[in-house]
Amino acid sequence: MKSWRFKEIVVMAALAVVFGVVYLAFLPVGGVLAGLMGPIGYDFIFGIWFIVSIIAAYIIQKPGAAFLSETIAAMIEVLLGNAVGPMLIVSGMIQGIGAEAVFAATRWRNYSTWVLMAAGMGSAVTSFIYGYFMSGFAALATGYVAAMFVVRLLSGALIAGLLGKALSEGLASTGVLSSFALGKQQRKKNAA
Amino acid sequence: MFLQQLNPSLKALTIMVFIIFLATIFEPITPLLFLIWTVLITFLFGKVSWKKYLLYFSPFFIFALGMLWTSIAFADPPINPDEAINILSWSLPTENVLTALALALRVLNVAALSLLFVFTTNIVHFILSMMQQLKLPPRIAYAVLAGYRFLPMIRDELKIIHDAHLIRGVNQAKTPKEKMQNYKRYAIPLLASAIRKAERTAIAMESKGFTGDKNRSFYRQFTIGKLDFIFPLIMLIGFATAFFVSKQLGF
Repeated sequence: MKSWRFKEIVVMAALAVVFGVVYLAFLPVGGVLAGLMGPIGYDFIFGIWFIVSIIAAYIIQKPGAAFLSETIAAMIEVLLGNAVGPMLIVSGMIQGIGAEAVFAATRWRNYSTWVLMAAGMGSAVTSFIYGYFMSGFAALATGYVAAMFVVRLLSGALIAGLLGKALSEGLASTGVLSSFALGKQQRKKNAA
Repeated sequence: MFLQQLNPSLKALTIMVFIIFLATIFEPITPLLFLIWTVLITFLFGKVSWKKYLLYFSPFFIFALGMLWTSIAFADPPINPDEAINILSWSLPTENVLTALALALRVLNVAALSLLFVFTTNIVHFILSMMQQLKLPPRIAYAVLAGYRFLPMIRDELKIIHDAHLIRGVNQAKTPKEKMQNYKRYAIPLLASAIRKAERTAIAMESKGFTGDKNRSFYRQFTIGKLDFIFPLIMLIGFATAFFVSKQLGF
């Protein structure tokens, strides 16, 4: 926590508010899909719920960014009046750990497209293990559970990884990130 | 009104513990009885409005129904395939139906537990109490509370961006597809202004002496007293009874 500037934490909270609204908006979408297809309905759009981790980690590039941002996003979702309640904070932390583990494996140095996609998949893995236990997927047929897992991995890589990267770079090109790691990198690249 | 006066952190931890307990149950009787218990406690001690409760609870019914039919359709192969029950002229293995009912009731019970918390807790107090009882670092707690305050500003900002685009003649979306494209155009400016606001807020807080030090004083103090432990006890009695009854019924 010592290496963090307060500014960076508040920026994560601001990102969390914007995506908290998006997250909440996608809950009923997932609910309808799940009503039609069963729990796999959520997996198609699951990546959207990991996107803050990817954006915050890519922008700030410090150990803990993926984990903290997803935890903060979960707390803000509870504040915004989510009916999921306090358990949401636990699931946010678990999603954050998955992405954080991938960034940790590169020692928080590599933020290439592949790493960002892998981080989205990391969140998919941890959130799936959690869901497997909490929602009782053990009672479902192995094939169905495997399909859910594959869909969630893809969703994590594409929605969280690729969309998160595109949004972060779009933001960097506006110049608002000039005092953050990603903004500095882009400026160097443009100067060269 | 007793539920409103409990320490928010302890109440949240109690809810979480029982949600984890529920995850270990694969028969329908325990979650059914505990669901009834949870709803009963909510209305007896929470003074919650019926209409609002039903409004929040109904989406979970859709999810529970989805869970019910997929858990039957995509169930693990049953151990005793000969035991079957007939529903609407379909013959379904009893075991699969019971497991599916258990999972659907679990969804409803988790929802009821969460709503008990949400309807009887001021969430700002919850965050403050997390800082005082659960060692949440003040820098994170106050960043979250500041972030929460951005919400109305973000709504205004969205309106401003919308109008700015309209003035320049790029915002005459009519079809849903065009509206989606509009949201794409809003994303970057909206996030950019949120980041600028966050930076300014952080600087303002620090310039007024916010250091994030853990040894700070609090205007609103939260404590855990003996009364706070009555709630976990009540819930434990309910869960233990439900579990015992279901064992007696042979599950």
